[in-house]
Amino acid sequence: MKRTPIVAVGTVVGLASVLSFHTSPVKLNLSASAGPTTSLPATTTTTKSSTTTSPATTTTTKKSGTTGTTTVAPTTTTTTAAPTTTTTVQPTTTTTVATTGIRTATGPLVNYFYGQLSVKVTANGKKITAVTIASISDGGNPRSVQIDQYAIPVLEPEAVAAQSYSIQSVSGASYTSAGFAMSLQYALKKLGI
Amino acid sequence: MSQVDASTRHLIDVMGTVVTVDLFECHDDDGARRALERASALLHDVDRVFSTYKDSSPVSRLRRGEVSLGETPPQVADVLDLCQRAKSLSAGWFDPWALPGGVDPTGYVKGWAAQLALGEFRGLAASGVIVNAAGDIATFGGPSPDAVFRTGIVRPDDSQRLAAVVELRGCLATSGEAQRGAHLFNPFTREFSGAVASASVTGPDLGLCDALATALSVGGHDVMVLIDNIGEYEAMTIDATGSMRATPGFPFVRD
Repeated sequence: MKRTPIVAVGTVVGLASVLSFHTSPVKLNLSASAGPTTSLPATTTTTKSSTTTSPATTTTTKKSGTTGTTTVAPTTTTTTAAPTTTTTVQPTTTTTVATTGIRTATGPLVNYFYGQLSVKVTANGKKITAVTIASISDGGNPRSVQIDQYAIPVLEPEAVAAQSYSIQSVSGASYTSAGFAMSLQYALKKLGI
Repeated sequence: MSQVDASTRHLIDVMGTVVTVDLFECHDDDGARRALERASALLHDVDRVFSTYKDSSPVSRLRRGEVSLGETPPQVADVLDLCQRAKSLSAGWFDPWALPGGVDPTGYVKGWAAQLALGEFRGLAASGVIVNAAGDIATFGGPSPDAVFRTGIVRPDDSQRLAAVVELRGCLATSGEAQRGAHLFNPFTREFSGAVASASVTGPDLGLCDALATALSVGGHDVMVLIDNIGEYEAMTIDATGSMRATPGFPFVRD
């Protein structure tokens, strides 16, 4: 009944090294178009260097590029805070610009099955462009490293680095939990969404 | 921004995640609003009945043995029937009955619910609709009357970059190691472990796509062969080294 053999269709370049096991949380590498990326829970804190970025600000840069409006302002004002704090990324424009521009908000650390996590939402106006894990701690349980390397694919297609395609949606493994939902809701509330 | 065809996006905050609804070339605002209200009510109702995070939900009570199946809302039995079918089609690799803590149809429910929500938009004057439940996607139509939706599948190590782009006629579900804590449970070894880093399944029904993607992420190649023999369903995996494998009919967009 089998139609034809299963085919190997290629390789995602560079995947092996990234998926190799880490003993400490490793953030998504979002450096595709934004130059060097310092991982979010880095030991250095409150660095204001423009090369210190977070997933949200990387997205910001890309979106700003596509819209042709402003630039990396959020990047330079973003403070990379100590790991596992609830204010990992300051929502720099939340209060001044209610519903326009690129904004991020991080929900509180909440308990989940393996420890604690917090969720960060990036929005352009009222449109959510990315929902990611802002921080996660679990006492070294390796399972959470897997979760840590992933972001919920609630992503605008234009937030994805592969800009050469016209796509309407994005699919990827998702992770949902009561704790995730709770932190997410707080973050959405902060953004007025 | 010109890359993006989505005309109108709506968010429904439900089921521990955000469900997005994209309407393309929709010419009926009132009809769209009514359909959105129905879809939102439907998803919240599904959440109320099926959530394993809510202790008081009928499914939670069923899992604890406090109520019998006959005492739960009828859609619970419907979903368990569909789960049984998915278990059979996947040769047991998808098995909600093997999960610790009692039968847990969560691995089917999200896709099933998104598929039902999509149904609320049938008949709407629109070229196409996408319902995206945290990466599990149900669609009909296209971005314009003569075009097919294209969906990116993210890399398992970096959700900001794409591993592949597919032409989507129907549904797509992706499962992977990130879900380990949720439901990547190997029913044969009774351990939480995945065979591949990312597993995607396309087909006409998102509930079954979701279940098969879960099975594929646990069972790997064996399950891919099974899916290859299910009409209208196609599969693709990415392993920890980055190698991609797919059934011959998987709808890749190739340059």
